[in-house]
Amino acid sequence: MITFIVRRLFATIFLLIVVSMITFAIFFLIPRLAGQNSYELATQYVGRNPTRAAVLAIEDKLGLNAPVYLQYARFLKAIVFGTHYNSGTSTTYCPPPCFGYSFKTQQPVWPQMVSDIPVTLSLAIGAAVIWLVGGVTIGIISALKRGTLFDRFSMGLALVGVSLPIFFTGLIALELFSYKWPIFPNVQYVSFSTNPLLWARNLVLPWIVLALLYAALYARLTRAGMLETMSEDFIRTARAKGLRERTVIFKHGLRATLTPIVTIFGMDLGLLLGGAIITEVTFSLHGLGLFTVEAVQNQDLPEILGVTMLAAFFIVIANLVVDILYAVVDPRVRH
Amino acid sequence: MRRRRTIGLAALGAAAALALAACGGGSSGGGSGSSSGSSSAAGFNAAITKVVNPSNHKGGTLTFADSSTTDSTDPGNTYYAFSWNLTRFYTMPLMTYKSCPGQCGLQVVPDLATGPGVVTDNGLTWTYHIQPDVKFEDGTTVTSSDVKYAVERTFDRAKLPLGPNYFSLLLKPQKPAYPGPYKDRSKNIMGLKAVQTPNPTTIVFHLAKPFADFNYVVAIPQTAPVPPNKDTGSNYQLHPWSTGPYKFQSYQLNKQTTLVPNTFWKASTDPQAKQLPSKIVINWNVNANDLDNRLLAGDLDVDAAGTGVQAAARAKILSSPTLKASSDDPISGFLWFAYLNTVVKPMNNVHCRMAVEYGANKTNQQTAYGGPVAGGAIASTVAPPNVLGQKHFDLYEATTKPGGDLAKAKSELQACGQPNGFSTGIAYRSDRPKEVQAAQSLQAALSQVGIKTSLHGYPSGTYFSNFAGVPKYVHNHNLGILMGGWAPDWPDGYGFFDFITAGDTISPAGNTNIEELNDPVVNNLLNKMAATNDATTRNSYTAQIDMQVMKQAAILPEVYAKSLLYRSPNLTNVYVQPYYGMYNYAVLGLK
Repeated sequence: MITFIVRRLFATIFLLIVVSMITFAIFFLIPRLAGQNSYELATQYVGRNPTRAAVLAIEDKLGLNAPVYLQYARFLKAIVFGTHYNSGTSTTYCPPPCFGYSFKTQQPVWPQMVSDIPVTLSLAIGAAVIWLVGGVTIGIISALKRGTLFDRFSMGLALVGVSLPIFFTGLIALELFSYKWPIFPNVQYVSFSTNPLLWARNLVLPWIVLALLYAALYARLTRAGMLETMSEDFIRTARAKGLRERTVIFKHGLRATLTPIVTIFGMDLGLLLGGAIITEVTFSLHGLGLFTVEAVQNQDLPEILGVTMLAAFFIVIANLVVDILYAVVDPRVRH
Repeated sequence: MRRRRTIGLAALGAAAALALAACGGGSSGGGSGSSSGSSSAAGFNAAITKVVNPSNHKGGTLTFADSSTTDSTDPGNTYYAFSWNLTRFYTMPLMTYKSCPGQCGLQVVPDLATGPGVVTDNGLTWTYHIQPDVKFEDGTTVTSSDVKYAVERTFDRAKLPLGPNYFSLLLKPQKPAYPGPYKDRSKNIMGLKAVQTPNPTTIVFHLAKPFADFNYVVAIPQTAPVPPNKDTGSNYQLHPWSTGPYKFQSYQLNKQTTLVPNTFWKASTDPQAKQLPSKIVINWNVNANDLDNRLLAGDLDVDAAGTGVQAAARAKILSSPTLKASSDDPISGFLWFAYLNTVVKPMNNVHCRMAVEYGANKTNQQTAYGGPVAGGAIASTVAPPNVLGQKHFDLYEATTKPGGDLAKAKSELQACGQPNGFSTGIAYRSDRPKEVQAAQSLQAALSQVGIKTSLHGYPSGTYFSNFAGVPKYVHNHNLGILMGGWAPDWPDGYGFFDFITAGDTISPAGNTNIEELNDPVVNNLLNKMAATNDATTRNSYTAQIDMQVMKQAAILPEVYAKSLLYRSPNLTNVYVQPYYGMYNYAVLGLK
């Protein structure tokens, strides 16, 4: 197991390097190949007065006039060793991992991302708990009560949940429960350490809206898996041995169903940890998703690079955890 | 048993959610908390001409929100109108705009200075005396050196690239060129020779050539004093050192700014601002529609951007007499228009350009920009009504025949030797839906008289720097019509017209005179404006320049932009400051 984890960690590092190269190529190299030179790129960061002197100054300051491979090397070096930055009145050290400085705000990218992580974590994990518990529970009950009114109703509702986009359900939720009937007014992120109750209250709507989509998927997935598993021979054997039905369902039936659910859960959670973009934009939650949107709108390349690599990191780590969990869920994998 | 347990768990979850909803109070970050329309409203457009809810009541948290962020909170590095409006909370530049509604608010008055600049040396020297008892937020007294240093900062375009560059253009140059105070600090702090500080309360500016509008230039926040030992360069935006009624308590970049009263500020030194709320909170990057809904629900007080509500909220407001009575639709100071390039053939012929003036359907252009309320009033002049000296005229029947005059358009085509029309390109910003619609509408209208146009969309971030503002590109791509918008950096004719019509502003990149007008009458009038100190005489040139530009048909005015602003009933001292085209933030209070 240790060897397995170490091997996967090395693979993670290699993957992150590849992701950084691809992202760098997309935002730095491809525009050059399309004919945009560094001067034209620099004009975007000079505000309303793109005089030649101002553009050249920014081009030099942001290092845009260096060869692309050199810019990439500096970027990687800063992540590993950090870099120094001159603010004008002093030189500060940006410790590793240093993702550079925002082209727009001239502030270090990593602290901004770090301050956004708790928001995304709170949103993603809270919603994950709801959709996992809710979706799996509904899926189990639907499978056990196949063909009943509950089954048909819950699967119909799941279909609706899957079909409705988050920006729609989010806006409806805000309109009804924040403005019209202010049960959850003024939704904005409050950190857990500041006020745990307010933290939870302000996240209820985003959690439910985000979880609705995924719960629907997990309900259908669980139901399908349970139906297949509960018709297996070993389930009949377990019943024949006189085991209680609860033991048959949860210890034997659900456990076998969980493998694909764990796989997808890992991927979904990993993706969300990189930023639940639509939910964060809809509810104005300053997480990594909103950070990503701002970075792209501002064409702030260091921020785009930073958040892309962080998102990739979360996805890779989430999949690593999933792979480890397999061994727990499915003993056959251990051998 | 199983069913009861399941139902019990579900009930527990619902109860928890409702309990959370009850906990934590009615609002979580400030905001006045009460719903809109709870008190009698002053009436639609009331705040354009008078102060709504005048009051000196103190206390409360004034909450702003913005759907984006500011370019910078550093007063030396910002160019957004709303940002300049917000800086009045924490800065005192040498001059500022009088805090009063209507035309009164276009007057530039002393702020940190004791009076307007004293002009000597044939207009080349401007001397200001600053108030001796203005203090920074730490109690240290402001001196003229702090103002000089603030001006010096604007010369380093690598550190502060976003603000205007008027000082580097107007001040007497030195050799070698002044690089700003960040390179070789020991040598370059106080190294700007064109600005002298003979004593702690006097600052003297030496100009390269006479410039009668210099009082307006020093009203830009860049003259707000900055103590050199508190300057942190590109980090100064995180905590600008305050001389205004409020100071920074915290600034989470792109998230939230919190201001608290500056205990060293005195109302007697700064009559254009007030210190009424106990705290000011500005929330950045709030979803635009969510922001409007919170505004209408009373969860926040002001939309900081000041550019008006979105379409959904606009429909709600205009369809509700109560909400409409708490809203204002002022002219923002922006003109939306099309540059008619005077070099690209056959648009280089004035009659071809006049054909475009007559052929455009002004009503459809207005609709494209959002209609009479959200878009603006149909424009017949280049200068909007809130530019000093503006006079109404209508050379091309924009207001009398807003659907266009096709007969006259065809007649002008005859005169320019193109009786069957001609072909040209229309450039526009492709990520601005209104501008896209306006370009399409113009294309449709002009096609009726035989002017065939091709549409060329460009991203707004590089529209002026790489495309429309590059004359060579414009010529090579046959872009005879280029969509755009303009608002002046100061509200007189020179501030409005110079950058967009003066012949000497045509430049190979970053060009703002996109129609490439180089008319001797316009150039001469602008030069006279720059050299004339008498305001009445200077303002009289505005209408003359406007008329000449329109006679040359160099610009197709479309709408004097308007914004529908919602005025929270909880606000006091609310009125539209015409220079900003939005509410005057520096005097707001809460009931």
